[in-house]
Amino acid sequence: MSSMSGVRPTKGYLMDLKRRIGFIERGCEFLKLKRDHLAKELSASLEVLHGRRRLLLQSLRDAYRSLTAAYLSLGPTEVKSQARSIRRALELEVLPRSVMGVRYPFTKILSKPQIAGELDITLSRAAENVLGILEEIIQLAEFEARAERIADELGKTNRKVNALENTIIPSYKQIIKFIEDKLDEESLEELVRMKLIGGALARRRG
Amino acid sequence: MSPGLSYAVIRSHALIADLLTPEQVLELAVSEDLGTLIERLSETPYGEVSVEAGGDVSIALERVFYRKFIERMARIVDVAPGNIAEFLEAYYYTRFEILNLKRILRGKFSGIPVSQIVDSLVPIKPYQAKDFEVLAESETLEEAVQRLGDTPYSAVVASMELSKEYDALWPLELALNHFYARTILRTLERLPSVDRAIVRRIVQVEADIENFLIAVKQRRAHEEALRVQRLEDLFPATYGIPLSAIKEVLEARDIKPVIAALGPPHSEILAPIYEGDVALIRTHLRRHIYRTARLGRSTNDFGFNVIMAYLVFSEIEKDDLVGISWGKAQGVSSEDILRYLTIPYSA
Repeated sequence: MSSMSGVRPTKGYLMDLKRRIGFIERGCEFLKLKRDHLAKELSASLEVLHGRRRLLLQSLRDAYRSLTAAYLSLGPTEVKSQARSIRRALELEVLPRSVMGVRYPFTKILSKPQIAGELDITLSRAAENVLGILEEIIQLAEFEARAERIADELGKTNRKVNALENTIIPSYKQIIKFIEDKLDEESLEELVRMKLIGGALARRRG
Repeated sequence: MSPGLSYAVIRSHALIADLLTPEQVLELAVSEDLGTLIERLSETPYGEVSVEAGGDVSIALERVFYRKFIERMARIVDVAPGNIAEFLEAYYYTRFEILNLKRILRGKFSGIPVSQIVDSLVPIKPYQAKDFEVLAESETLEEAVQRLGDTPYSAVVASMELSKEYDALWPLELALNHFYARTILRTLERLPSVDRAIVRRIVQVEADIENFLIAVKQRRAHEEALRVQRLEDLFPATYGIPLSAIKEVLEARDIKPVIAALGPPHSEILAPIYEGDVALIRTHLRRHIYRTARLGRSTNDFGFNVIMAYLVFSEIEKDDLVGISWGKAQGVSSEDILRYLTIPYSA
């Protein structure tokens, strides 16, 4: 067996391996717990995303319709000119947050544009509609980024668990078994040798 | 009828034939895309439309339509007798000039580059103001407003304090709107009484609807204007929608009864507000103005009404084409574009 080529079949090495496999198995249990928690988080996030997207899609349609109406009513140059009179822009701060060690962006709205005073009522309505869903869009983007990163981490964790469960732990077990067999064999040989020596000594005495 | 007026009326009759028919506008509106629209447009009096590569096509087309309208308007103003020419100049040139002044002030307010401000202007020569480019090159908003001090728009200077106080443009825009209302009223009086009727019907309903929309907007958000100004100052010209009704709009919880009490044509024009479609109100207003001009023409096909009808039809054609070209450039469905058009639904 080529994988056993560097293996030292000693009791010390066996004890070391057993200590290591105990540690790996505990790690694997932790990873499984993390995987389950991430899966739970992901499925909750996906449910929220699904619901929010449906709602947002309708709001987006309404906002787009009112913006289209404003453009059709006022003309593109006038809309652009009026839009430029909005001085306070939307200001955001993106902060990091973490769930089970997975970092995702959290967006904080610092200031919103003041649209009421300067715009024609048609454009003002459209801007209100867009601004109304802007927070939702930002939250949705946040959720999407969160779900994406959780899914990514879940994939990684799952691969680690699979690698540990299907490759590393069995290979360690195989090595342990190999060493145990080897040690059993050696002790059996020793026993046989002792018995033979004992028999020879008894014959010599007799 | 004076020979000058007769000539202007005959010219208007001839020029009306150059306007797009409702069928042509409809055909343009249902074009598959912008390319087809430009192709179909070339078969109309607009001819081959050249659009600069790289820029915003809908804005380039908007300029083409504005130029065409201004050219048509200038042709009539040039041949119209003194008082009519004076009214038409005040009605159209002042309107476009004020639009340009507002765009310059907005540009200075937000500090955008001069070239962008100049690009956004309606392609007309200054009428009562000074050179638009010189105004646009002002270092600050205050400087631009000060430069209006020795023009007929000097009243705007007084609103600068309020503008600074609120860090907003609305006081300046309001002053310009008031100037326009006063100018129209003044020049209207110089028209022969027989010709005033059609203009009054158009101008008054326009002013009424704009007042109403401002009131609706004020009631929603921007009450500070009401605190600092009397209602009469905010709405200097009211006609079919009196100040009492505007006050009700500002104070009532539900404006539906206020609209219903106004009766036609106001209640019909304002009906889209129930569905929350404010833009459609302007479309209804244009349709009403279009019908008023057509009715005026049918009652007197040999007078000022024909001139007014030609200019009204011409301006509405420009508005419809601007909407169609923007819609096509953005891939808006023909159904959505048609909803906001005037000419195909006013035949």
